[in-house]
Amino acid sequence: MEGKIIVVTSGKGGVGKTTATASIGAALALEGNRVAVIDMDIGLRNLDVVLGLENRIVFNIVDVVNKRCNLSQALIRDRRIENLFLVPASQSDNKDVLTPLGVQRVAKQLKSEFDYVIMDSPAGIEKGFENSVVAADEAIVICTPDVSSIRDADRVIGLLYARSITPRLVVNRIIPEMVARGDMLSHEDVMDVLSIDLLGLVPMDDQVVVSTNTGMPLVMQNQSLAGQAFRRIAKRINGEPEIPIQVPTAMKTGFWSKITQKLGLTK
Amino acid sequence: MLNGLMKKFAGKKSSKDTAKKRLQFALVYDKLEINEMTLESLQKDIVEVISKYFEIDTKSLQLEVQREQELSALVFNTPILCVKKNRAYNSQKT
Repeated sequence: MEGKIIVVTSGKGGVGKTTATASIGAALALEGNRVAVIDMDIGLRNLDVVLGLENRIVFNIVDVVNKRCNLSQALIRDRRIENLFLVPASQSDNKDVLTPLGVQRVAKQLKSEFDYVIMDSPAGIEKGFENSVVAADEAIVICTPDVSSIRDADRVIGLLYARSITPRLVVNRIIPEMVARGDMLSHEDVMDVLSIDLLGLVPMDDQVVVSTNTGMPLVMQNQSLAGQAFRRIAKRINGEPEIPIQVPTAMKTGFWSKITQKLGLTK
Repeated sequence: MLNGLMKKFAGKKSSKDTAKKRLQFALVYDKLEINEMTLESLQKDIVEVISKYFEIDTKSLQLEVQREQELSALVFNTPILCVKKNRAYNSQKT
């Protein structure tokens, strides 16, 4: 059976596309799928460091598209998670070296060999974006609950609709305390503004920085709330759409709850 | 939570409500923007159609989108030099 190509995109940079790609890809592989994550951010690659695979790069996606190597030569196998592979971006080229036609050719081959191919799109809506969405069957739009990110998400959603792709939304970096205080848009507010289906809600989580520091996939850290959220997102993608979307809630910060948290009595 | 409630009672608007209003306005406004190329090709088409019926001064015509708070309008301004009299007759014949 043919696999699915999913593009992760946002318009705005720095909202968590790469972390989401790495996490959803790793989680889908943990679910037993054959997964390839592709870094389409030519010239500014980062998916390799987020996944801790940066010192194993030999070939990259530009080499594959321009036929300087086979696809199998550019695929880096993750040694911790079975069936997870990375095709890194090139760091020396610019985004114009790829053509939509070339990407489509490689995408077709990827589809025949993997259950899921996750494309990490660069920020922006120029050629790099075009190349990332040209072969996509589905799209995930990432935004954070702030004005600029949501505005850019709206623009990207429009561009995806124009290509007959119906994207789904992940709201990242939700700070429940701020939402409760009325100082951060809630996911309902975001949904009101953007008319799009919701795929998941991810809370702000210090563990994301820790996991990027070490290159250990977030979804392998069981105590990470963001990691858990991404695992549920992967399940929803992977044929379990009924898994309820959990709204991040504020941690209790009272004296007793702090103590019980420290003692490990409550979560 | 309590904080939010207190703000409500105090009649203070929370910053996220401001954010939401501004966003909704910005998104509507963004979608009304027409790029230069579209406007140029629209102008070409309009001139073509009007030229069938009128002789117009193509040098001094103006096409622009006027935007106000509530609505936006397409305004096309052109001096008519003369009406093409034989237009109706010609179109009947062909």
